[in-house]
Amino acid sequence: MQKKIKANPISARKVAVILWSLVKKNTKNQYRRSFLGILWTVLNPLLNMFVMAFVFSRIFGRSGIGMDYPVYVLSGNIVFGFMRTATVTAMPSLVGNYDLITKTRTPYAVFPLSNVFTALVNFGFSLIALIVVMIVRIPAGVRFHWSGMMIFLPWLPSVFLFSAGLALLLSAVYVRFRDLKHIYNVLLTLWMYLTPIFYSVETLHLPEKYSLVMKLNPMYHYLKYFRDAISGIVPSWRETLICYAAGIVVFGIGLLVFRILKKKLVFYI
Amino acid sequence: MTDVIDEELLIDAKNICMRFRLPTERIDNVKEFFIKLVKGRLKYTDFDVLKGVDLQVKKGESLGLIGRNGAGKSTLLRILAGIIEPTSGTVVTRGNMVPLLKLGAGFDMDATGKENIFLNGAMLGYTRKEMLKKYDGIVEFSELGKFMETPLKNYSQGMLSRLGFSIAVDVHPDILLIDEILAVGDAPFQKKCAQKLDELKAGGTTFIVVSHSNAQIRRLCTKAIYLKDGLIVDSGDADAVVRHYEKDCT
Repeated sequence: MQKKIKANPISARKVAVILWSLVKKNTKNQYRRSFLGILWTVLNPLLNMFVMAFVFSRIFGRSGIGMDYPVYVLSGNIVFGFMRTATVTAMPSLVGNYDLITKTRTPYAVFPLSNVFTALVNFGFSLIALIVVMIVRIPAGVRFHWSGMMIFLPWLPSVFLFSAGLALLLSAVYVRFRDLKHIYNVLLTLWMYLTPIFYSVETLHLPEKYSLVMKLNPMYHYLKYFRDAISGIVPSWRETLICYAAGIVVFGIGLLVFRILKKKLVFYI
Repeated sequence: MTDVIDEELLIDAKNICMRFRLPTERIDNVKEFFIKLVKGRLKYTDFDVLKGVDLQVKKGESLGLIGRNGAGKSTLLRILAGIIEPTSGTVVTRGNMVPLLKLGAGFDMDATGKENIFLNGAMLGYTRKEMLKKYDGIVEFSELGKFMETPLKNYSQGMLSRLGFSIAVDVHPDILLIDEILAVGDAPFQKKCAQKLDELKAGGTTFIVVSHSNAQIRRLCTKAIYLKDGLIVDSGDADAVVRHYEKDCT
């Protein structure tokens, strides 16, 4: 086969413009025609937190968590929620943008990635909810420092890479196998319960081997890092390393699968 | 590429072959895929859409692609646009190329006309700032000024096409790839479109047009290619090729 020469490369600037406008569109469309609009991005995690705190505080919130329970639940929820929103919305993004993929020259990866960025924007709004709750809970013993809000910043790219890798993988495989949506939804529920969002692995008093298995879950480490950071504890190098290793490996796999499937993708959409 | 490329050559495609591999039955779930894989029943039929097509377009020329349905015209256009990769063969293109294969591809039906102008502009690589300069011109050309704040889902099909066309022709590319989208809207608007295309042509834009309207091909193109079953039957002067095609059709 002859060597193919890439005609008319697409400039990085064009990619950035497309990505930016897609993120804007997604963010707007989430709450289009709703009365409270963008305020829902703050209210949603807040209301979820109330439900979880209400249901579980008696069971898990008693002791041993070492953190104010509502803050514990909310912080876990928004980190897991970022990953969940990013992957669930990205999965059908290639199929949904059928028109643009088959009729225009747009690099495919911008579609799933725009959903990951949109989830990141939502995560930013959820942080407002978290800050509000932390301030409200100061009388209950929560220590709030703005510096704590800064400590997690070095962690953000790692969880972003992790979610982006999954998003790329899922969106590309979804083009061929539409059952993935149903399978992934079930797996996600399982994943959520295996991640210490409203309980803590330490207070479950599991046998050693089980709690080791729980710690194989990358989300465990992302949540731990984030909670440590907002409590003002600078996480160890080891934790940072685990977060980045998981992020880079998953992103690498996602990108690889995406690049392999990309070529034939247009015929299956 | 170390070869010296002719400065005047905008598109140089050599020996383009395209083979579609179609599964005999459509399989889109994992269970079926594995059952068929284990049983060894993943059957494909190969379908050659293009069987070795060469074409060159020089600066200032415009090319029409004609032929019956399924001759491979649209596939060829999409390969030239870089949307799909050919099974074998090479394509080299130069200059800013804009594919117009569907009007309003990527329109967001929930968003307003105004938002969509910016969104569609972004798909072509223009920032909000750049689109602001073009905005008034686009609205004026589309004659949809009253409806800019209306969501697209309330637009009629004709209005959608008009908006799509107005955005598309406002970019000034070196090469414009067009697939059957030349006639939109009512008669006065169609006339306006034709004038706009003539204007672009006079401005030096190269057209590559797929059309079933022989009059349009004659009007816009200097050269034409007549495709039949993935092969070039005739190529050369637009008028002569169109006449050949017309003779074959009767």
